[in-house]
Amino acid sequence: MMRTKLALAVALAGLLVAASPAWAHHAFSAEFDINKPVSLTGTLTKVEWINPHAWLRIDVKSPDGQVTEWMVEGGSPNTLLRHGFDRNTLEVGTVIVVSGYQAKDGSNKANGKDITFKDGRKLLMGSSAGDSQPSEK
Amino acid sequence: MGVVEGGEIPYLPTALPKKKANFANRLALDPETKCYLPGVPRATYMPFPFQIVQSAKVIMINYEYDGAVRLINIDSKKLSPVDSWMGWSNGRWEGETLVVDVTGLNADSWFDRAGDFHSNKLHVIERYTPRSADTMSYEATMEDPETFSRPWKISMPLYRHVEKDARLLEFKCVPFTEELLYGNLRKKAANDKANDKK
Repeated sequence: MMRTKLALAVALAGLLVAASPAWAHHAFSAEFDINKPVSLTGTLTKVEWINPHAWLRIDVKSPDGQVTEWMVEGGSPNTLLRHGFDRNTLEVGTVIVVSGYQAKDGSNKANGKDITFKDGRKLLMGSSAGDSQPSEK
Repeated sequence: MGVVEGGEIPYLPTALPKKKANFANRLALDPETKCYLPGVPRATYMPFPFQIVQSAKVIMINYEYDGAVRLINIDSKKLSPVDSWMGWSNGRWEGETLVVDVTGLNADSWFDRAGDFHSNKLHVIERYTPRSADTMSYEATMEDPETFSRPWKISMPLYRHVEKDARLLEFKCVPFTEELLYGNLRKKAANDKANDKK
């Protein structure tokens, strides 16, 4: 009986994982590189207020006009709220400057350190970089 | 038979295809099967008890299911800073009736296991009215101009658990679905016969 149940669960697992959003809770250094600081100026296209890390999507325009989508990881939604963010500060269409650290694999993903808004206001993103230090060159 | 007044949820023509797709694939898509928080009003009619703790300024509802909690701010005009599973509740008293405005609900919760859904523009107006020492009337009106063509209402009685030692127990849901959701990511143990059979 138990075994039948397990087999059913395993059969369903594939379906459900395919349908569920990306989930990951990790140490900073598992995914991001403290030696690859980035500064991205872009327009917010989506904000995912999900635990354990919120994700922002921004369209970054290069000088030649090419638009690249970046995903930026922040702290948890509650951390962001406590640092002063809410649905209005992070409205889709807002132009922001994000400073942070790029993913180790070189993809257009970053761990966000802070966001500067047009009016000069800067808010911390609850980065998991913590005490990570750039390595000595 | 049913709790929806008029018997039908008035979907906009643009929303109906999603409801049908949800229904067709409900076992895989229902957020409840993955143990996400149930949202409002679904938390009220999950087959689990809840407990209301009351003070003058705040009323707290503790739900056994998933340890969900709501704080109802009495006579507050504040709105939610961001959408969440259980939303944001502001309440007021109309005579004997507690009226609660719920907004700030994210678009991910469902009303039931049949794929009935809403957008994050959902506004739920709940009415809790005592009808006897151990029963209450519960009504919830749903307004969501992105999903429904008009407001619609459900109503049902709520019964107090009168057992001598009635109490909320812990029902943290995730441990029961971990295998269902993530079992295929688990490292296979040498003596894991269930996995061998796969």
